[in-house]
Amino acid sequence: MTAALALSESFPPLSAAQGTLARLVGIGKTYGTGENAVAALSNATLDIRAGEVTLIEGPSGSGKTTLISILGLLLTPTAGEVWIEGQNVAGLGERALPGLRARNFGFVFQGFNLFPALTALENVAMAIQMKDPKAKSPKGEAKRLLELVGLGPRMHHLPADLSGGQKQRVAIARALGGNPPILVGDEPTAALDTKTALSVMELLRELASNAGRAVVVVTHDPRLERFADRVVRVEDGLIQAIDPVVHA
Amino acid sequence: MLLPRRMWTLARKLLLHDRLRFIVAIAGVSVSVMLVLVQVGLYFGFMDTASSLIDASKADIWVGKKSNDSFEFATPFDERTYYKVASVEGVDRADRVLINFAQFKLPDGGDLGAQIVGVDTTPGKAPLLAPWNVVEGDAQRLTQPGSIVIDKSEVEKLHIEHPGHITEVSGVRAEVVAMTSGIRSFTTSPIVFTDIRTARSFMPNLGADPITYVLVKVAEGTEVATVQARINALPHLAAYTTKQMSMRTRDYWSSRTGVGAGFFTTAVLGIIVGFVVVGQILYSGTLQYIREYGTLKAMGAKNSAVVKVILSQAMISAALGFVVGAPLAMGMRAAMKGANLTVALSPELYAVTLVITAVMCAFAALLSIVKVLRLDPASVFKA
Repeated sequence: MTAALALSESFPPLSAAQGTLARLVGIGKTYGTGENAVAALSNATLDIRAGEVTLIEGPSGSGKTTLISILGLLLTPTAGEVWIEGQNVAGLGERALPGLRARNFGFVFQGFNLFPALTALENVAMAIQMKDPKAKSPKGEAKRLLELVGLGPRMHHLPADLSGGQKQRVAIARALGGNPPILVGDEPTAALDTKTALSVMELLRELASNAGRAVVVVTHDPRLERFADRVVRVEDGLIQAIDPVVHA
Repeated sequence: MLLPRRMWTLARKLLLHDRLRFIVAIAGVSVSVMLVLVQVGLYFGFMDTASSLIDASKADIWVGKKSNDSFEFATPFDERTYYKVASVEGVDRADRVLINFAQFKLPDGGDLGAQIVGVDTTPGKAPLLAPWNVVEGDAQRLTQPGSIVIDKSEVEKLHIEHPGHITEVSGVRAEVVAMTSGIRSFTTSPIVFTDIRTARSFMPNLGADPITYVLVKVAEGTEVATVQARINALPHLAAYTTKQMSMRTRDYWSSRTGVGAGFFTTAVLGIIVGFVVVGQILYSGTLQYIREYGTLKAMGAKNSAVVKVILSQAMISAALGFVVGAPLAMGMRAAMKGANLTVALSPELYAVTLVITAVMCAFAALLSIVKVLRLDPASVFKA
């Protein structure tokens, strides 16, 4: 299916009832100017819906990372609109973005990015506190999240004492801190063996199905498609197709 | 800085995670703290020594010749001037003091330059300047001609062990009648207290009845400044309150000898050493955890939260460095006491040094802070 090209006027406003948590409309990102300008992404339109797992696939340099960076409010687009919480946030300044990110997004990375000096519990609790300094019980919430991802018995271990899969589960628990509706993963299974990668993806699938979250994952691994609802295929800075996954 | 306990924990654990780097950071701050305390303490110790005679006096005003530059090398005047000062309205009491140098005869036949302090020892009248911290002998005997009081710290130099020792000063017989403790001169010449009449006999070349200072006690109910102004109106004389005289003497030795610049340069070098070490340690630590900081920023952590973690590391380094460095300075003070060097460590100096250390560490963290402030959270997606 070719991506919709219409601008926001063609779309109904976001509403929880429709389950659309974020919307990218006609997004473009160009680096440099004049003759040196490079278009990393052009005219990308995409809805992110609650309960869905969306895979973003494409070759290296195709614009996948740019797409999720803009979706995650980490990068400002040079064209188009980003709709979150009922407003176009594409033009918002840097001061407003941390709060929006904290409320709406959790991120999971290929390299885990856990503080090696902190235990699993401390890593998660600290992230909760950083996102919301007024959080009531960061430690209690961190415990709950680590138990949710199956790491209750290992919560007092340092990252160095955990396997790759366990570290990624800690990273997922950390991403869930503050209960954001959208989880964004940048190759979260790339550093894991097949069995572990599949179990991590299964966990992300459950988080989408059971908790009504949207999960958006950039991957090169087609084996993960069985956990997805849609696959967004990106190439040469364009969304070439958004294919629904038919589960047997 | 209000910081949740968890952030302090994060700062502490990040610092402690690499033990060697942590030890280097604390060592850097400790050396810095010790250098600042010892150097500034030595400076104040020297300055206390330089003005100790003035500070120990009970006078309100010191009167000397207007042309005097230095306390120790004051030009003498004759006794008529003393009576002029004593008769100024508002002066309750005036004491004569003669300070100059004379040759002290050593038991081996040699001579040693000594700073003679001749004081008014009128019987039945407590002098405005007299030997203090008397630890041996009887200082009251100074009223007797030829009596002198020396300090215990000079016994090795003067080869005198106990009161009762008979010697000569400028060829005049002198008997040590008492010994004090901790009275030393900035010039390193031993201080020898004696009665002004005996002092004059030690310095026959100064003319008839010489005096270098008149010490004044102001009458009750009279403003010191008023009396000071009246004395200043007398020709060729300058009157200073005891505090002014003390500061003047300290300034003289501090600026004329360069001792102040010397000590403070070393103290500043100490601060620079601490600054560089802590700055380098914090910066390398920040680089080590840059992806983790970026992840926190990506998730919505505000710059201020991340900056607080780095500043907390700086403050922990400052506090621990001070806790280690201050006792080191105390140890240095004890060691230097044996070499007759005074390191004046006051609570105020400790407090100021703690503040300087905290500021130094905060500034050392600036490079790291700039690094995380400029950190693009999107960079965490670039593996």
